[in-house]
Amino acid sequence: MRKVFVTALVLVLAAASCSFADGVKIGAGIYRFNDAFMLRFRNAMSAESEKAGAKIDIADGRDDQPTQDAQIDEFIAGGVNVLIVNLVDRMAAQETIDKAKSADIPVVFINREPPLEVLNTYGKAYYVGAKAEESGIFSGQLIVDYFKSHPEADKNHDGKLQFVLLKGQNGHQDMILRSKYSVETIRDAEIEPVELASAIANWDKLEAMKIMNAFIMSIGPENIEAVIANNDEMALGAVEALKAQDYNKGDPSMYIPVVGVDANASALEAMDRGEMLGTVLNDADGQGSAAVKLAVSLAQGKDVSGEVTDGKYIWVPYQKVTRGEK
Amino acid sequence: MAETKSRSKRLITTVGIIFLVLGIILYFVKEPMGLNRKIYDLPVFLIIIGICAAIKGFMAKDKTEEEAALAGKTFTEFLTNNAILIAMLVLVVVICILQPRFMQIRVALDILTQSSTKLIMALGICFALLIAGTDLSAGRMVGLAAVISASMMQTATYANRFFPDLPQVAVWIPIVAAVLACMVCGALNGFLVAKYEMHPFIATLATQVMIYGACSLYFDMPPNNSQPIGGIRPDFAQIGQLRLFNGLWKGFPGISILILISIVICIAIWFILNKTVFGKNVYAIGGNREAAVVAGINVFRNIMFIFILASFLYGIAGVLEAARTAGATNNYGNGYETDAIAACVVGGVSMSGGIGKVGGIVMGVLIFTVIQYGLQFINVSPMWQQVIKGVIIAVAVAIDLTKYRRK
Repeated sequence: MRKVFVTALVLVLAAASCSFADGVKIGAGIYRFNDAFMLRFRNAMSAESEKAGAKIDIADGRDDQPTQDAQIDEFIAGGVNVLIVNLVDRMAAQETIDKAKSADIPVVFINREPPLEVLNTYGKAYYVGAKAEESGIFSGQLIVDYFKSHPEADKNHDGKLQFVLLKGQNGHQDMILRSKYSVETIRDAEIEPVELASAIANWDKLEAMKIMNAFIMSIGPENIEAVIANNDEMALGAVEALKAQDYNKGDPSMYIPVVGVDANASALEAMDRGEMLGTVLNDADGQGSAAVKLAVSLAQGKDVSGEVTDGKYIWVPYQKVTRGEK
Repeated sequence: MAETKSRSKRLITTVGIIFLVLGIILYFVKEPMGLNRKIYDLPVFLIIIGICAAIKGFMAKDKTEEEAALAGKTFTEFLTNNAILIAMLVLVVVICILQPRFMQIRVALDILTQSSTKLIMALGICFALLIAGTDLSAGRMVGLAAVISASMMQTATYANRFFPDLPQVAVWIPIVAAVLACMVCGALNGFLVAKYEMHPFIATLATQVMIYGACSLYFDMPPNNSQPIGGIRPDFAQIGQLRLFNGLWKGFPGISILILISIVICIAIWFILNKTVFGKNVYAIGGNREAAVVAGINVFRNIMFIFILASFLYGIAGVLEAARTAGATNNYGNGYETDAIAACVVGGVSMSGGIGKVGGIVMGVLIFTVIQYGLQFINVSPMWQQVIKGVIIAVAVAIDLTKYRRK
């Protein structure tokens, strides 16, 4: 009897030591599959799970909260040890938390941040994401770095920075924070920012191109010293509008620095051609793997207090990307 | 009567000459007087307007009695009939005062460039309007053509290629593929309308939804997964971005190839509508379908042809949009049909069919673009732009209807 017990213990220990995530089952709900950013996120999560030896099931919420709720019920019924949830509607977090709570399994929210008071209702609820204000700070820094290293960028030599701002969808959290912090960063660097014009272009290239064109015509390209866009698609729209006036085509006297956020492939290509100054990478890979690592630790009942800030969050930093880097 | 005629003729000529002289004077004094940054290219515009008015004054002769009677109508009537045009002119003057940069040749050329694709759309949709129908699928066809053509026109080195193994095909292949795809959709429109006598509103509503769905499916195919298509080949982008005579003199931005393409299409459509049997049939079917049938017009064939021809134009517009913006998403062209219909209506095309001229459509598109462009130019909120656009449509149609009722 004792022999059997020892053997069993050895076996368990051996199993645990060679693959410590064995038996961890993760149930992951994504708000919508055909979203380029979440695609990168999903791939990173699958890769990290494989590495950790955990099993992961990923469900497509089809942009519909009731669909996602049903999928979470299925996950719990199927006996997952931990949930990773990219909410369709960030205000619906309470229902998800209640479900996890009644099954007594931890839940890691990703990408769409639930309100703190909701997160606080359950000790095993966490959030992995990026701070939107950081992307604003970085795009501001890209402009500041360029301005400081290129004195000729101050076209009218007044020591101030005359810029135009292309904003995302009205009321969107990223749009508000990116707009605010990019300008504040410039001010913090002791360059006075002067907003010549700003407009909402709904994250859209075509709309941004139209608006930028109107700015170029009404303000005059020689008076614009920088273009700040809340995302890369709008930055690319601005680049197309500038190119139509022979700007940003290689002649250094006809150049306006343009920055975006996302680091998508078209933006990187435009940067290689020197049409766009830089962008800020929202690190989907880093967030995906951080979410899975946290989920695995939680499922194994490990203490994660050293990894999370404020007991609830893991913030994955954004990254500045400029010309020549990929 | 004759007196009124010659008086109005003399008035136009005089105004033209005054503009011309004023323009020439300003042209020579603007440098020395330091007005360059205050009036920009205003002198050139005055000269052009002056010459046009003077020529029009000279040419405006030999009017029939009836036309002369119309010319002699009261001043208020003149105002109401041309309310939209006058509103546009007032707006232009206001913008010029608020933002003198508006008075630049490059702005005028830019407005023409932006009108180009809109004109192509309007010329396509006018056929559906002429037979008292409509075409709701036009905008989505633009999106379809843009996505199809852009998907095959990416550079070999681009990281996110739509077809990773596709060789660098000749430029015409994707264009033909995109336009053909639109023409298939157009044929479906025509078939539903002609065969089942479905109202075009319903038939094209159905195809609109289908096209958008199909286009989204295509756009969502791995490895693209609904990412905006980028990395467009420069030789393809040139189709929408090339500017002729660029730098002919200092600061001349060049004439966009889009303007030339739309002029060619405009002439072709004018010819089709006015000089071919098909064109006459379109007006006949629109005016009175039963009479057209009795007169032996093959309504089925003509309606099929109408929708296929229109979709051909939408396809061209879509390809040009993809080239101009060097990219595409499944959302391209969203709402273009309403803009095109609105421009046609403002240009005097009747929604009840049978009435409408190419010249009117050109005017409608230009008026619309100038107003939209001008509002954007002085940075009017997009929400206000929408309100104003709506008012223009309502007023234009109201005036049009009162005009016909009076006759």
